[in-house]
Amino acid sequence: MSERETIRAGEPFWVGLHLRMAPGWHTYWKNPGDSGLPTRLRWTLPADFQAGPIQWPYPRAFSQGPVTSYGYEDEVLLPVKITPPASLAAGEVTLAARADWLECQEACIPGRAELSLVLPVRAAAAPPSPAWAPAFADARRRLPAEPAGWAFGAQEMPQKVWLVFRPPRSRVPLKDARFFPDQPLVIDHAAPQPLSRGKGAWRLELTPAPNARRPLPALSGVLVIGGAGGQNEAVRVEARILDAGGLKMAGGGQRPPAQEGKR
Amino acid sequence: MRIHTRRAAAVAAAVAAALSMPTAARAAAVVGQPAPVFSAKDTSGATQSLSAYKGKYVVLEWVNFECPFVGKHYGSGHMQKLQKDYTGKGVVWLSVNSSATGKQGYYTPDKIDALVKEKGAAPSAYLIDTAGTIGRAYGARSTPHMFIIDPRGTLIYAGGIDDTPSTDLADIKTAKNYVQAALDEALAGKPVSTPTSAAYGCSVKY
Repeated sequence: MSERETIRAGEPFWVGLHLRMAPGWHTYWKNPGDSGLPTRLRWTLPADFQAGPIQWPYPRAFSQGPVTSYGYEDEVLLPVKITPPASLAAGEVTLAARADWLECQEACIPGRAELSLVLPVRAAAAPPSPAWAPAFADARRRLPAEPAGWAFGAQEMPQKVWLVFRPPRSRVPLKDARFFPDQPLVIDHAAPQPLSRGKGAWRLELTPAPNARRPLPALSGVLVIGGAGGQNEAVRVEARILDAGGLKMAGGGQRPPAQEGKR
Repeated sequence: MRIHTRRAAAVAAAVAAALSMPTAARAAAVVGQPAPVFSAKDTSGATQSLSAYKGKYVVLEWVNFECPFVGKHYGSGHMQKLQKDYTGKGVVWLSVNSSATGKQGYYTPDKIDALVKEKGAAPSAYLIDTAGTIGRAYGARSTPHMFIIDPRGTLIYAGGIDDTPSTDLADIKTAKNYVQAALDEALAGKPVSTPTSAAYGCSVKY
């Protein structure tokens, strides 16, 4: 579906793939974890239209014994930004996509659909569609935010790797956290992630995957933190593996938290 | 002073032991290290032990015939071809099913033999691991999940069957098959150039 019922030349707009899963079934995030397959869209667009990548809302973890996967249950909207050309003839445009997904409970069933969306072209900007605007707003709330004001670092320990982070000062009290890696062969998806508080920073203890890439690459993915009030917040993580010794954290050109702790 | 030193040494030894101890709860097979040994019954009731195959290359293939990823590799005939080609070259190919009794992919030995025949599969043996013992020892998470053990018992490959996660038969033609590449290199006396990769598939039904 489209967030707006009509479109305008040169003005990007959002469309989305809406997946509704039967109870107990789930589809997958961009990194599916130990099993599964990410949902995929292949577009057929009018001339000079461009489709961006799927913007993935943060996932949840599903565990079956030692197997842990990342995905969505119930329903999810996967937004994609479409950029139309600067000039468009009046009339309609048709956006077509082939969607492929894998839906699993205990069993797995691959799904495929040929989808199309017909949108009228108008000279004036259309308001968001009342039918879909709430679903888009909800999906946006679940997209990982750029980590403004956050600091991240990672430190390799024997058998472990620590994701060390400091949230912005304004944040509400933090209760729990989970890291979702966006690459395979970095961390063990099924291992617990104990959270502890150090001097001026939090530490999430992760376990490298059994045959993890060496040297371990930067930890990249999403950190989902739960506040004491039950609310969740997700931020994008890119944490370089730091040299051993010291908890000097590097991250996005931000002030090292160690300095802040000394004030 | 002596006692103190001894205590310090004992503490250091304990710390060293703790650091070098593999995370027991999360045991897994690690490339470059001895492959976990196992003994399990195959569909004929015979016991298959890894130790009996010292001196040979052994492939372990986690399988579940009801999984669409497994269906892709058997539906195309590619998995059967690999089994035939490499057992023909003296490699031992063990298909392993770790579905718990009653879970998806679990079958009685008779039914498995019938399915193996129907699909034209040609493993050296098909191991029944309903308790998930071998699966957990190797850290098998998906079907297919592939492992290769060299004649000395060292794990030389752990990961996916190929580099193209999908359930689409058409992708097999363009995918790079890691197991084939690793076996060809190993049999030619060369080091395995891609010894680990991300496995993809359905979850193992422990």
